[in-house]
Amino acid sequence: MKTSFNWLKQYVDIDISPKELCDKMVMAGFEVEEITDLSETMKNVVAGKIVDIKKHEDSDHLQICMLDIGKEENLQIVTGADNIFVGATVPVALDNSLLPTGVKIKKGKLRGVDSFGMMCSGEELLLKESDYKGAEVHGILILDSSVAAGTDMREILNLFDYIIDFKITANRPDCSSIIGIAREAAAVLNKPFKAPKIDFKEVGDNIKNYLTVENQNYDICPRYMGKVVKNIRIKESPEWLKTVLKASGMRPINNIVDITNFVMLETGQPMHAFDLRELEDNKIIVRNAKKGEKIVLLDEKEVELKENMLVIADGVKPSCLAGVMGGMGSGIKPDTKEVFFECAKFKRDSIRKTAKAVGVRTESSARYEKGTDICNVEYALKRALHLICSLDAGDVVCGAYDLNKGFVTERKLDTSVSKINALLGLNIPGKKQEEILNSLLIKTTLKGDTLHCIIPSFRDDIEFTADIAEEVIRLYGCDHIEGTVLKGEQQQGKRLPKIEKRRALKLHLAGIGLNEIYTYSFIPKKEAEKLGLSNKNLIEILNPLGEEFSVMRTQLVSSMLNVLSTNMNKGNENCAFFELSKRFIAKEIPLKEQPQELTTLCIGAFGETDFYKIKGYVESVFEFLGVNPECVACSNIPYLHPGRTAEFTLNGERVAILGEVHPKTMESFSINKRTFIAEIYLENLEALNKKLVIFKPLPKFPAVNRDLALICSEDLNIGDMEKAIKKGAGKLLENLKLFDVYKGNQIEKGKKSVAFGLTLRSHEDTLTDEQIEQAINKALKELEKIGAVLRS
Amino acid sequence: MKEKLEQIKKSSEELLKNAGSLKELEELKVKFLGKKGELTSILKMMGGLSPEERPKMGQLANEVRSKIEEDFQNAFKDIKEKELELKLKAEKLDVTIKGTPVAKGHLHPLSQTLENLENIFIGLGFTVVEGPEVETDHYNFEALNVPKDHPARDMQDTFYLGENLLLRTQTSAAQIRTMETLKPPIRIICPGRVYRSDDVDATHSPVFHQVEGLVVDKGITMCDLKGTLEIMVHEIYGNDTKVKFRPSFFPFTEPSVEVDVSCPECGGKGCRVCKGSGWIEILGAGMVHPRVLKGCGIDPDVYSGFAFGIGLDRLTTTRHKISDIRLLFENDDRFLKQF
Repeated sequence: MKTSFNWLKQYVDIDISPKELCDKMVMAGFEVEEITDLSETMKNVVAGKIVDIKKHEDSDHLQICMLDIGKEENLQIVTGADNIFVGATVPVALDNSLLPTGVKIKKGKLRGVDSFGMMCSGEELLLKESDYKGAEVHGILILDSSVAAGTDMREILNLFDYIIDFKITANRPDCSSIIGIAREAAAVLNKPFKAPKIDFKEVGDNIKNYLTVENQNYDICPRYMGKVVKNIRIKESPEWLKTVLKASGMRPINNIVDITNFVMLETGQPMHAFDLRELEDNKIIVRNAKKGEKIVLLDEKEVELKENMLVIADGVKPSCLAGVMGGMGSGIKPDTKEVFFECAKFKRDSIRKTAKAVGVRTESSARYEKGTDICNVEYALKRALHLICSLDAGDVVCGAYDLNKGFVTERKLDTSVSKINALLGLNIPGKKQEEILNSLLIKTTLKGDTLHCIIPSFRDDIEFTADIAEEVIRLYGCDHIEGTVLKGEQQQGKRLPKIEKRRALKLHLAGIGLNEIYTYSFIPKKEAEKLGLSNKNLIEILNPLGEEFSVMRTQLVSSMLNVLSTNMNKGNENCAFFELSKRFIAKEIPLKEQPQELTTLCIGAFGETDFYKIKGYVESVFEFLGVNPECVACSNIPYLHPGRTAEFTLNGERVAILGEVHPKTMESFSINKRTFIAEIYLENLEALNKKLVIFKPLPKFPAVNRDLALICSEDLNIGDMEKAIKKGAGKLLENLKLFDVYKGNQIEKGKKSVAFGLTLRSHEDTLTDEQIEQAINKALKELEKIGAVLRS
Repeated sequence: MKEKLEQIKKSSEELLKNAGSLKELEELKVKFLGKKGELTSILKMMGGLSPEERPKMGQLANEVRSKIEEDFQNAFKDIKEKELELKLKAEKLDVTIKGTPVAKGHLHPLSQTLENLENIFIGLGFTVVEGPEVETDHYNFEALNVPKDHPARDMQDTFYLGENLLLRTQTSAAQIRTMETLKPPIRIICPGRVYRSDDVDATHSPVFHQVEGLVVDKGITMCDLKGTLEIMVHEIYGNDTKVKFRPSFFPFTEPSVEVDVSCPECGGKGCRVCKGSGWIEILGAGMVHPRVLKGCGIDPDVYSGFAFGIGLDRLTTTRHKISDIRLLFENDDRFLKQF
């Protein structure tokens, strides 16, 4: 809410600086976005009267002017302008002056003649015709002849003012008005609020002679009021009114339109003025739009209306999109003679939806969306009529329409001093609370501990003791609140087990050398395709910020690949990352219920790494979680190398996949180095509780080491060979280690040599040669079954 | 014989002095004291001496022997020390060379800040809980006192996934889920990811993180809220940091406040970071709205509570002086390794 400090002072006596006022308002809950000192925009520019003009001897077009600037000596200025004349009063930028454009003017010489400043055009002062008459005329701005020489231009242009932009919170729509701000300022400063006058004179006649008004939707329009003004005398508004509008960022148009805008800014209640000639059948009907109806709005935009939109129609067509914008032609024209002033309450969500649907947001719709006060409708209308009379803009016809089904003007709320103090933790005396509430125009009487409050209609937000407590504390001062320690029953602080487990896992992953990344949960829709995955069943965001963020991810791989790619392109050489985040899996599309949010770990790396290093990371995660899934080769993950992909399963369920990224996928993610990736589905693992470790006695008997050099088909998996050895050697096998795999000249083609180191030990006795031999032989037998034999 | 013994003594002393290595010493020891050594062979000649001479010579021989033995012992000690000295000298390392790198990963700065926050609140008896990121309109808005037509919905531009399904705009949604399942006393924090349809720039991200706090019990006051936040702020920014409440508005708290802390950069004098005000806004808080309590089946006449919502990303960027929030999601290895 842009508020002119000068204007505000008309409603409350402010005896402190704008900065001090802002500080106090901030502590009362009104954040200040910006304070602008308008006088800072222009400096050293004064009115000067031309007393003499001479031709410049060395120039065809330059003239030398002498100006009276209210000082003893006249000022000499050389100019090329041709619309000046002796006797004209013009804006003069003196030596060392600042123009609103940011331009600084200094004295200088033009073709050898001293010029001590510059005469300004309207454009150079950033003025429009509505700011000052003649401002858009080509050449120097000619000021009104009554302006005294030497007058500061800021005084002429009303720039000795501050504009304070208050941020209005959603609970205080009443403060989207100067009156609202003034009421708050008055309470903050403990000064009376001076309400503007609303009396007006009527000239007889009757509104019924002019039109009928009908309301077909009291639900969306609980109150519709109107008055007729005849003998309209369209004029320019007086200076004070134009100044207020300009300071609030509105353009003055004519007295009637300006009055409706002024009243909106002042009271927060939007108004609309209809030219009675344009209302067919002399009717106003408040109704829903009909199917297929169209309206051309004031901004010349044609809008197709929907049936849930409220319009103000005449007997034939919609004339106005209720609360949002008037229709073309329904408004005030230079020859308008009779006007119907509309002042109404519309429901906020209806206006919000309509404004959003047609893509139009106005000062009016913005106020309706936030919520308006039903009692204020009458007040604003009267205020407008008061202005009509005092500006002599027309004659008010007797009678009014006020269509409503009854409404609450004020509400009673009883609370207590002790309840308020209990919530705040303070001990504010009842008298003080009463005084604060009354200063906010909440009529309050204190009886014993009870506060009887009467809530005015503009304070819709106050319903509970807590609301009253807020009013008290924001004016009493939040700085009175001093920190206290939480009392009450002590509780043990903790993380829920699965949160704790995830946190510990993250620490583990960082501990083994991986850096953690955070990526967005929504990704481009085409990402699935890039991975060769189906793009069905993706959860789409209905109103995304763009294709880039259009679906919820069902995997973490593509985000990881993008991060790896970015790092590669930045020249980072060795990267190993992890991300612990969620995948979103829909039960059905379109989404009817909340999707599954599955916690997933993704690991990705390039540089000094290989398949087995990543596998080591994955296995360390399993060890950390206390599980031992089975690993098998897998070749059907479209984005992984078919010969370098492993799948881990636990009780038949996939718990992880890992592998080298498929060259095609590398290409689509602009990755040019071998990259490895793993996805671990923690949702299935988190439920598992790592068992408490039970101590195993340390070995008492010596271990025996035996090496086995085997030969087998090169396709035989080491994993299968290990399984065979474990099965054969049984309980005695303490450790099994692969130490060599060889393919080459000394080995038959299509075969490989594999060497394992076995550690055997018994916990009951020292092993005998017999026992050892037996275990080894059994292992060899199992190996034979799968086609691996001792290398001779 | 006496001369011979004296000579042996002398020559052993002489040779010992010049012996440079342990090996030489061992050889000398054999030469003098060994079974076939010089001293032994002389002692063997003792038999040929007269009975008068024998004890005298015997004594002398023993004296010489123990002297030589002692000399040898000392010589061995000296030379071992010398050799150790040489060895230590030869083994000198340039200790200024950096140690062998150990694989060390880094938790993301957001995780680190969260860890700090969680630990502070756990110490105060809070339980860390979580809630779903895809929420229903009910939990994200309605139950938090933001009905469909409420203008406060404009404060948060929401991503919708379906008629009543959305990406939560605030972790406050978890407040409701907690209050529906737990009975007071309640002390929880709920960290998590939240979404708002803000275009990406240096200070905005459509995905960010909050830590929601909620306390419900008998007799909870606004002073308790301030006390709790002060503990948190002192842990995060240091004990000298001041906390200021400024009245504000949130639909789910009443009274509501914005919480400012004295600028950690300048200590409150005013600088670029705090835009000259001496304060930075770090979170929003307030007393739980009676309608929210009632909606969850908690009687607002018996219980009261407070709630707060900390922006984790902003806390992280201000704390570490990270100039651009986008760095948090870009994941440049050189950025991650700094934390």
